Amino acid sequence: MRIVDQEKDDVLLRQAAKGDEEAFTSLYRRHQAALYRFALRMTGSAWAAEEIVQDVFMTLMRDPRKYDATRGTLGGFLYGVARNRVMKHLERLPREVPLEVKNEDGTGPGIVLQDASTPATLAEKRERLERVRAAVLDLPAEFREAVVLCELEEMSYEEAAQAVGCPIGTIRSRLHRGRALLMARLEILRDLPRRATVAK
Amino acid sequence: MKCEEFELIGLDAGRDASLSETERAAIAEHANSCARCAALQSSWQEARKELRALAQEMSEAQAPARVEMRLRQEFRAQHSTWKGRRTAVAAAWALAAAAVLIAAMSWIKWRDSQQVAKAIHSNSATIASNLPSGGGSVASNAGTGDFNTEDDSVTLVAGNESGNFMLLPGVQAADIDDAEILRVRMQRGALGAFGLPVNEDFANEWIQVDLVVGDDGSPQAVRLLKE
Repeated sequence: MRIVDQEKDDVLLRQAAKGDEEAFTSLYRRHQAALYRFALRMTGSAWAAEEIVQDVFMTLMRDPRKYDATRGTLGGFLYGVARNRVMKHLERLPREVPLEVKNEDGTGPGIVLQDASTPATLAEKRERLERVRAAVLDLPAEFREAVVLCELEEMSYEEAAQAVGCPIGTIRSRLHRGRALLMARLEILRDLPRRATVAK
Repeated sequence: MKCEEFELIGLDAGRDASLSETERAAIAEHANSCARCAALQSSWQEARKELRALAQEMSEAQAPARVEMRLRQEFRAQHSTWKGRRTAVAAAWALAAAAVLIAAMSWIKWRDSQQVAKAIHSNSATIASNLPSGGGSVASNAGTGDFNTEDDSVTLVAGNESGNFMLLPGVQAADIDDAEILRVRMQRGALGAFGLPVNEDFANEWIQVDLVVGDDGSPQAVRLLKE
C-alpha cells in the first residue's frame, strides 16, 4: 500500500472515530473487497466470508484504538483481524463442506465466468476452476493461507509475511509445502475424469 | 544446487526478491541439468496458470451490499448512543462542579462570619480599655445592641486594615465603602455628639480619635487612640 493511501486511511479512521459515517463507509469500501476475497478463498463459503468481513469492520468501529499506526498499515491490521476470524472459523468447523450460496446477482460464491465462450468451453472452464478451488480448499489452513496470499492475492513474500505476522522464511516454507500438496491434488483431480472415462 | 533446494526456492525464483543473482544463476543451471526438477517446474507452471485463472475469475468478488448497510446502521446506532452518553457525562460533571462551587462559597461565607464574630469581641474589648468610664458603657451598649454592631457593620470594621473602628449609630456598612480616615484631637464630651455615651466626670478630657469620614463629610465610625 502506498504511503498516501496509508495516510488517507489514518485520516479516515480518525474522522470515523469522531462519528463521521461517510469516513467509515469510505474505509469500508477501500478494504472490503480484498478482505472478502481472502475470507472467501480461505473458507470457501460466501456466508462465512460475509460474516467475517462484517466482524472485522465491527471490531474497527467499536474500538478503533486497537489499530496502532506505528505498527503497520490499516490494511495489514484489518488482514490480521480477518485472518484471526478465518482461523477461528476453520477451527470451529474443520470439516465444514461449503454450500453453494448464491450472491445477490444469482451467481455462485465468487466464480463468475465473464467471457463469451461456447457453453461447452464454459462448462469445461468452470469445471477446471472448481477443481482448482477444491484443491486450494483442501490444503491445511497454514499452507492454504500462504497460497491464497501469494498466489491468488499476488502479495509479495514480504507483504504476506507481514500480514500473517511471521518471517519470510516461514512463508517460503509454507508455500513450498502448499505447492507440493496442491500439485499432487490437482494431478489427482485431473486424473479423476480420465479414469472415469476409461472405466466406462 | 540440490533438488531439495530447488524445490524450496527455485519454483518461484522470479518473484522472490530476497534471492541473489548467484542463487538465480544456480537455479537456472539446475533446472537445465536436472530432468526431474525441470518437470516439477513445468508442472508448477501449469498449476500456476490454473491458480491465475481462479484469481482472475474471483478478482471482482466483493462483500454483498447488505454488509455495508448493516455496518452503517450499526455505526449510526453506536454513535447516537455515544453522543447521549457524552451529554450525560458532561451534565454530570457540570452538576458536580456547581455543587463544589456552592460548597466553597458556603464555606467562605461561614469563615467570614466566624471572623466577624471574633472582630465584635475584639472591638468591644478595645473600646472598653480606651474608655475608662464611658468606654465601659460603650462596651456594654455594644453588647445590648444600642450601637450598630450587626454583622454587616462589623464586617467593615474587621475588614478595615487599621482595625478597632466602631460604627456610629445609624451608619450602615455600605455607607462608608469609600470613606477616609481623619485623625483629630477632641474633648471626650464631644463623643456625645456622635451618639456615644460619655461619662460626665471625664467630659473635659482631651483624647485622640480616628474618625472615618464619609463622602458627605459626616463621621461614620470612630476609633479611640491611646494618648
